[in-house]
Amino acid sequence: MSAAGGATPTNGAAMAATLAAGLGALAIGLFVILNEAGIYGAPSLYGPAGGVSGRTTFAVAVWLIAWGALHWRWKERDVDAGRVVTACLVLVGVGLLLTFPPMWDVF
Amino acid sequence: MLFTARSIWTMVHGMVLGGGALLALAAVLYALWLLRPSSEAEIPERYAGSVATLTVLIAAALWITVLAGTYIVFPPYRAPPPEGLVDLAYYPRSLLLGNPETAWLHAFAMETKEHVPFIAAMLSTAAAFVSVRYRSGLLGHPQIRGAVMTLTAISFALVAYVAVLGVFVNKVAPLE
Repeated sequence: MSAAGGATPTNGAAMAATLAAGLGALAIGLFVILNEAGIYGAPSLYGPAGGVSGRTTFAVAVWLIAWGALHWRWKERDVDAGRVVTACLVLVGVGLLLTFPPMWDVF
Repeated sequence: MLFTARSIWTMVHGMVLGGGALLALAAVLYALWLLRPSSEAEIPERYAGSVATLTVLIAAALWITVLAGTYIVFPPYRAPPPEGLVDLAYYPRSLLLGNPETAWLHAFAMETKEHVPFIAAMLSTAAAFVSVRYRSGLLGHPQIRGAVMTLTAISFALVAYVAVLGVFVNKVAPLE
């Protein structure tokens, strides 16, 4: 059997994982910038590590919840892969921008 | 003792796990490019299985790297020195911030390293999930293969970026 052969599966589960990863990246960026702007500081969940333990744990929780919800909705469907991958790239880009230290002075 | 436990953890974190993941990410990217489908030749399914296995190992390595970095390596890095201590060699954060020429290594490099690796781990986990779920269809389905290549390529770039920052920090203020 060939990997290239067989029935074409729906792409929904793959696109759900892709978009959720982008949302997770955005969540990291948002928790960081909210902390730097003094609007919301996620509590430290492990004292010796400081606030990064809360920011990253909360962002991972957002990522997993988003992934679960998207997977539940899309797993049996075909969705527009081009739009999803583009959205993921934008979300990762924004997330990275918000974690970029020189950006923190803007807020 | 030649190496302290803190120093060994730093090496495992950066060189063994992070470095290993970086090499494996490059290998997956190359494999996905090499195994692109063509009308002339069929791709054996075992190749897709090998790619899937490698993506799972990458995701596992990256999660262990970021968790070890955050909860084992980072705490001694950021520990405040006792008041009045002059030699800050065992307190890397304070050592870096104490010199205007090296302060950026904390304010920029380490602050970046605190967060960006989690993004790489999430992206690699998504790539691993897709590779395993679509194992037999991964290489033959252009959209799914493209998504995995995109996730892997971004993850590779991010891991390489933070690895370089880690080298800079460790060269100036190693965790001894």
